[in-house]
Amino acid sequence: MSTDTPRGADLGPRRRILVVSAGLREPSSTRLLADRLSSAAVTSLSAQGIAADVEVVELREYAHDLADHLLTGFPNARLRPALDALGTADAVIAVTPIFNASYSGLFKTYFDLVEPDTLADRPVLLGATGGTGRHSLALEHALRPMFSYLHAVVVPTAVYAATEDWGVSGNGTGLVSRIDRAATELAALVATREPAAPADPFAGTASFEDLLRR
Amino acid sequence: MASVLLLSGSPAEQSRTTAVLGVVAERLRAATHSAHVLRIRDVPAADLLAARTSTPAVAATVDAVRAADALVVGTPIYKAAYSGLLKAFLDVLPEKALAGKAVLPIATGGTLAHLLAVDYALRPVLTALRAPHVLPGFFVLDRTVHIGQTGRAELDQDTARGLDASVDAFVTALPVRPSLARAS
Repeated sequence: MSTDTPRGADLGPRRRILVVSAGLREPSSTRLLADRLSSAAVTSLSAQGIAADVEVVELREYAHDLADHLLTGFPNARLRPALDALGTADAVIAVTPIFNASYSGLFKTYFDLVEPDTLADRPVLLGATGGTGRHSLALEHALRPMFSYLHAVVVPTAVYAATEDWGVSGNGTGLVSRIDRAATELAALVATREPAAPADPFAGTASFEDLLRR
Repeated sequence: MASVLLLSGSPAEQSRTTAVLGVVAERLRAATHSAHVLRIRDVPAADLLAARTSTPAVAATVDAVRAADALVVGTPIYKAAYSGLLKAFLDVLPEKALAGKAVLPIATGGTLAHLLAVDYALRPVLTALRAPHVLPGFFVLDRTVHIGQTGRAELDQDTARGLDASVDAFVTALPVRPSLARAS
């Protein structure tokens, strides 16, 4: 084995963070929050010498496919990868707008269609957006119970961003520090786990040379 | 006589939720109220999921909610909560859409372990839509509902009795229309 490879972020297998965003408009504050959370998670992982890639599922783009699935009972070719991606991610960041004190119907429909054990033991960070902070407890009362049902390992800090939070700048204040805290918690969970699925199916296989030495 | 809209949040063509609502509708009609069952699956789901409120089918359904004096909201329990399809419909309703309307929640599920989903998941959403009176919900265990050839539901005795009690409580909460009140 080569020893001159620099030790650093690119040494171990790269991890995959899947972002599920249920924003309805473009641009959406839901996607904005999701991007902030995923980049904070990548930074936090990188500080621990772990490189990570981010993949985004914009549920809005799958409205038709989700509707088809509801009526036909199976995912079409376009939707299947968006559902399967949950099962191979090292971590999931799920963000929804809050409507009527809960997740959106689009968000719930996607997770309704997920097979029961897909998220089992998978680190998950929850985020939500709303016009005001009045419904921030929806994260704890609506989102968290559903992910508990799915046996996900949800980080203690969930992040709610109200419209007024976006105007606040500077480190250590409100939203920014909450995002960092949640991302650090997620990174800590990912760091203690084996990579979910190697991108290269043969990456974990020993070479013939190595096998002969056993 | 009150006009009651019964909303089914099941995406299934053959649905126990919808069949149970059919039984509730019969009971309401027997009590001289008008009752109309609306399956949300018949509204284009892609429009609901994308929150396109201006399409004719979505607008007509929203109007039906507006015109109703009271609602029965039925849902299967998925992932320990109401269905995403039901929520997609409730999301396109205008603010305070349930103000002034009595609401009876009904859920169907495979295990009694999910009974609390009615009170912990569905009720807060109905309250957020400003329903002033959400009656105690009724949870129907899947295996106590038998759907016959005609699509009509036969209920096991205990379920039928519990459902009757819920509907009775709901009927007492229905408004007497102002016109009738004036006439009497």
